Amino acid sequence: MFWAYVPYMLAGVLWTFALVGGGLGLGFLIGLPIAIGQVYGGRVVKAFLDVYVWFFRGVPLLVLLFLFYWGVFPALGHKLPALEASIIVLGLRSGAYQSQIFRGAIESVGEGQMVAARSLGMSRVSAILHIILPQALRIAIPGWTNEYAILLKDSAICFTLGVLEILTRTRYVVIATGEALLPYITAGFLFIFLTYGGTKVLNVIYEKTRIPGLVWRM
Amino acid sequence: MDVVLRAEDIHKSYGKTKVLKGISFEVGRGETKVICGPSGAGKSTLLRCLNLLTRPDKGRVWLEDVELTSPSVNINKMRQRIGFVFQEFNLFNHLTALDNVMIGLTKVKKLPKDEARRIAKEALLTVHITEDLWNKYPAQLSGGQKQRVAIARALAMDPVIILYDEPTSALDPHLIGEVLEVMKELARRKVTGLVVTHEIGFALSVADEIMFMYNGKIVERGPPKEVVFNPKHEVTARFFKRISELYGGRK
Ligand SMILES: Nc1ncnc2c1ncn2[C@@H]1O[C@H](COP(=O)(O)OP(=O)(O)OP(=O)(O)O)[C@@H](O)[C@H]1O
Ligand SMILES: [Mg+2]
Repeated sequence: MFWAYVPYMLAGVLWTFALVGGGLGLGFLIGLPIAIGQVYGGRVVKAFLDVYVWFFRGVPLLVLLFLFYWGVFPALGHKLPALEASIIVLGLRSGAYQSQIFRGAIESVGEGQMVAARSLGMSRVSAILHIILPQALRIAIPGWTNEYAILLKDSAICFTLGVLEILTRTRYVVIATGEALLPYITAGFLFIFLTYGGTKVLNVIYEKTRIPGLVWRM
Repeated sequence: MDVVLRAEDIHKSYGKTKVLKGISFEVGRGETKVICGPSGAGKSTLLRCLNLLTRPDKGRVWLEDVELTSPSVNINKMRQRIGFVFQEFNLFNHLTALDNVMIGLTKVKKLPKDEARRIAKEALLTVHITEDLWNKYPAQLSGGQKQRVAIARALAMDPVIILYDEPTSALDPHLIGEVLEVMKELARRKVTGLVVTHEIGFALSVADEIMFMYNGKIVERGPPKEVVFNPKHEVTARFFKRISELYGGRK
């Protein structure tokens, strides 16, 4: 009977959270420096970063997962567990996408802010830290919310490595009960709820951190 | 005279366009000097060359006894002592008026918060930004208020000189007066200033000298009354005639 398996499926939410939280977090740590490098870096740095972004945005997620899980990590001498490998791959890829969100945000802050900061005697690094990023990060929240929703849905692909997230568990339930409709509908709704809930939270953060009176020109 | 800023033979080109073709002048302590000239003359470029926001191709700049253009100079350290007021205000969008004035003190001068706040409040009061506006964000201020906060931001750093680049050009006409008034007060208090402006009234009432720029050169300079009413050069005469027609001789 399907309903007996619902707690088992719900437990998958935690794993999905791990994938999404880990992927977004790692993606942030990768994406933000890439964006800064792409905007303020020298030519060589930019070219190098462009290649990274181009690669991780160009290769399908499934290929990346297989490539890293079966290929890259073993070749480095560390065959990682499926969850860790998945988080890293999601993070590397999300970093490429997030870099473009942050880059757009940084560029829309406006040149005058940097010039004014430098005219006070701030170093470039200090200006980026105290003037540019506080504004850029706010601007980036809507794009970042979008990235959350996309990554959440993409995380289902990690079932191919057997990560015990929502979809993997759903498939096991389907096999165990011989019933497909209810489990998959349940899985679908779980993703919808997570998308909706997370988006809601991020929207609240966006509103709470808004700069009074300001309308960004994007 | 105690010279605080000296520019010597400044040249700057962008590609093949020669924007500055050998500019030299001095500003003494407590003086207010005005630069005017038609659009494209190179006024903004010159100001930016003075604090090295733009690097001159040739020529030298001194602030007091330090040569800024020398490669060994820590330019960040020197820029703390040169105020810069922009046409477009460039207040930090994410900071309140008070924090805009404080941030240079805390993050650049590394002053303790209490002291920075005290200095910032004093600077804001000097430009007539009253307490009710201190916690407003730039987007909640009028253009005139923004520019006065920007002046306070420069002033709070206790600069040797303040450079103004057309500080009233982006303002609605009815807001220009309050900014000019503050600038005049500073000039009378002997805060050294170099002001790019077309506000002839301002120049006539407080400037020690007008330098008229045309085509990358200072073509005429002298006491404001002389340059405005008795220009020696054709271009200068034409310029001031047009300005007074445009502005109707506003004081
Ligand atoms: N970063 C730049 N790159 C290329 N050309 C520039 C740059 N900055 C200025 N110029 C050119 O230099 C010339 C002088 O510009 P500048 O802004 O100094 O003039 P200005 O006297 O301040 O004029 P305005 O009254 O319009 O502000 C212009 O022809 C301008 O197009
Ligand atoms: Mg200009």
